Amino acid sequence: MTVRIGWLYPDLMNIYGDRGNIMTLVQRCKWRGIPVQVDELALGARLPEGLIDIFFMGGGQDREQKIVCRDLLEVKGPALKREIDRGAAALVVCGGYQLFGKYYRPFEGEELTGIEVFDAYTVAGNKRCIGNVVATSALGGPSGTIVGFENHSGKTYLGDGCTPLAMVSVGFGNNSEDGTEGAIYRGAIGTYLHGSLLPKNPGVADFLIEKALARREEGVRLDPLDDALELKAHDSAVVRARKTH
Amino acid sequence: MRFATRTALLLGKTIGTASRAFKFGGGSTLPGRVARRLDPAFVSDMVKELPLGCVLITGTNGKTTTSALLASILDRAGMTPVHNRTGANLMAGIASALIREADSGGTLAGRLGLFEVDEAALPDAIAETAPRLVLVNNLFRDQLDRYGELDTLAAKMKKAIVTLDPSRTVALNADDPLVASIGSGLEQKVLYYGIDDQKYASDTMQHAADSKHCAACGGRLDYDYYLFGHLGRYRCPDCGASRPETDVAATHIEMLGMEGTRCTLRFPGGTCDLTIPVPGLYNVYNILAAMTASLALGVEPDEVLGAVEDFTAAFGRVERVQAGNRDIMMILAKNPAGFNEVIRTLTFAPGKKTVMLALNDNIADGRDVSWIWDVDFEMFRGRLADVVCSGVRAFDMALRIKYAGVGEMSLATEPDLAKALDAGLIAAGRAGTLYVVPTYTAMLDLRKTMVERGLVTPYWEDN
Repeated sequence: MTVRIGWLYPDLMNIYGDRGNIMTLVQRCKWRGIPVQVDELALGARLPEGLIDIFFMGGGQDREQKIVCRDLLEVKGPALKREIDRGAAALVVCGGYQLFGKYYRPFEGEELTGIEVFDAYTVAGNKRCIGNVVATSALGGPSGTIVGFENHSGKTYLGDGCTPLAMVSVGFGNNSEDGTEGAIYRGAIGTYLHGSLLPKNPGVADFLIEKALARREEGVRLDPLDDALELKAHDSAVVRARKTH
Repeated sequence: MRFATRTALLLGKTIGTASRAFKFGGGSTLPGRVARRLDPAFVSDMVKELPLGCVLITGTNGKTTTSALLASILDRAGMTPVHNRTGANLMAGIASALIREADSGGTLAGRLGLFEVDEAALPDAIAETAPRLVLVNNLFRDQLDRYGELDTLAAKMKKAIVTLDPSRTVALNADDPLVASIGSGLEQKVLYYGIDDQKYASDTMQHAADSKHCAACGGRLDYDYYLFGHLGRYRCPDCGASRPETDVAATHIEMLGMEGTRCTLRFPGGTCDLTIPVPGLYNVYNILAAMTASLALGVEPDEVLGAVEDFTAAFGRVERVQAGNRDIMMILAKNPAGFNEVIRTLTFAPGKKTVMLALNDNIADGRDVSWIWDVDFEMFRGRLADVVCSGVRAFDMALRIKYAGVGEMSLATEPDLAKALDAGLIAAGRAGTLYVVPTYTAMLDLRKTMVERGLVTPYWEDN
């Protein structure tokens, strides 16, 4: 059984090393002997129904985000939502996260309508939230924390239909106010921790792979991997984050 | 000279002297910062003392190399430049260079201001120096946490360039679509340079590529080929914008690995063959940039070529250092595009290499290290004998190498730079070469270590 990863708009939504997340999913499948395939889902392309196990979308600049928003509404959005309700996993970062909510309201110009996977909305903030992030999360592995880097001005607020991915102990998170970071709805994760979230947070990566496998077969358990280097990188990033804030 | 300017100059000079005497760091920005605080018009007043005016060099990659090369050309041509050669390229660095090169009466030791300028500081530098020539070499995503978006940055640059007197010149890299777009519709004289040889081109974009959309209409660009990141031959199918014809170009290129690059250059009125003693396609662009600028300033082609031939790499960009019976070759890599080019060069020559990768995340490096996932470390597959990862973010780098699947070599991780350097030298073996690829502040720290061991001289020993 092959795990199929659908990379949404790889040429438009890939700022700050987002592809590190794809590499991590691919390698962690390969190291376990699980066949894996990456399908690029570009503008205009329709989703192959029932075939993609993990969707990924990164962040983009404003112009790209507008182009992608149109394609999501007109082409892929309804199918994406349906797949996630049927148990597909997803990781969406920054701009991708915002478009998976209800809407993004900029200071000026048109509101961008999202596809409502997450019960969440985003408004433009007047301060850019930049820096290292440490946040406690059930997906945080042995330390119970996830670590990453955020760089966003949008402020996202969650409703009752989803839960936060984590609670921030260093950094700003969703909106700098309520301490939440990211969102989870079923197998879908949205987050402001851009770029390479998964390499240093193998627990999050394995959550997605597990969801993907569970779609096909019940009771699948992932073989453990030697994560010594991953955890060292995680821990030293946590120490660094506390120092640089 | 105004009284305020004179006072600011004297104070700046005193601070510069003190900082050199007490060795608190070379004084490449502090004197200028203080002088500008005291007299906000300090730079615009001082540059009036330069009979040949000012030249500004900007772009993400190659500013320091290009301006160092241009400085040695101008020197040879008798147009002695006042140059911020330590790479301090914000307004304070420019002001400091003016202070260092002025006597206490305000007379400058040079006739032309040659300033390397940070991309984001270009509008201020244009306003304060009214340059006769502005050169933009390339625009890559470098540290977006500082600059915001590239399109916005380019738009700000253009807005400042438009304000220049129409008699001024703008030199642009034709192969970079975003940079070339700055030239469209300008009243000023525009010169384009680029590479007209596709021998080292590929038909897929390196991952670090940035500018994929037409700056004029937003359409997706069609590329005939790519040379270096998003640089290449392109056109927009929607509005018809395309890579401009070049005034100065490399028409034939042969890469000789670490030994350098051989190329044929075409310029108005002639062609010539040249061997560039430093490796990498990016250095061909730097040579073309310096050539275009110096020809625009009226330097004779023969003088340009003589100076280029004598040129050795600017501080810190590629450095060869002897350490006992081993060689260290240090090459700065501060962003994905530059790093890819370094890897391409290292893997071009045959043989497995011993490599030390040093990743810091200080402000000058960029706090965010996600960019290493945009570097194509996969090019190292099967080409490494040993690799040592070091710096503040040593474990992030080691993880990146692990996921790149580069093969069965030993992967050592040692955050301490001096210790990592020792480990790398041991791994390189007798008569071997250790290739060190650091980010900016890691490079500064490594130089300090090497100075302490008597291997190199400090770059601020200038006067």
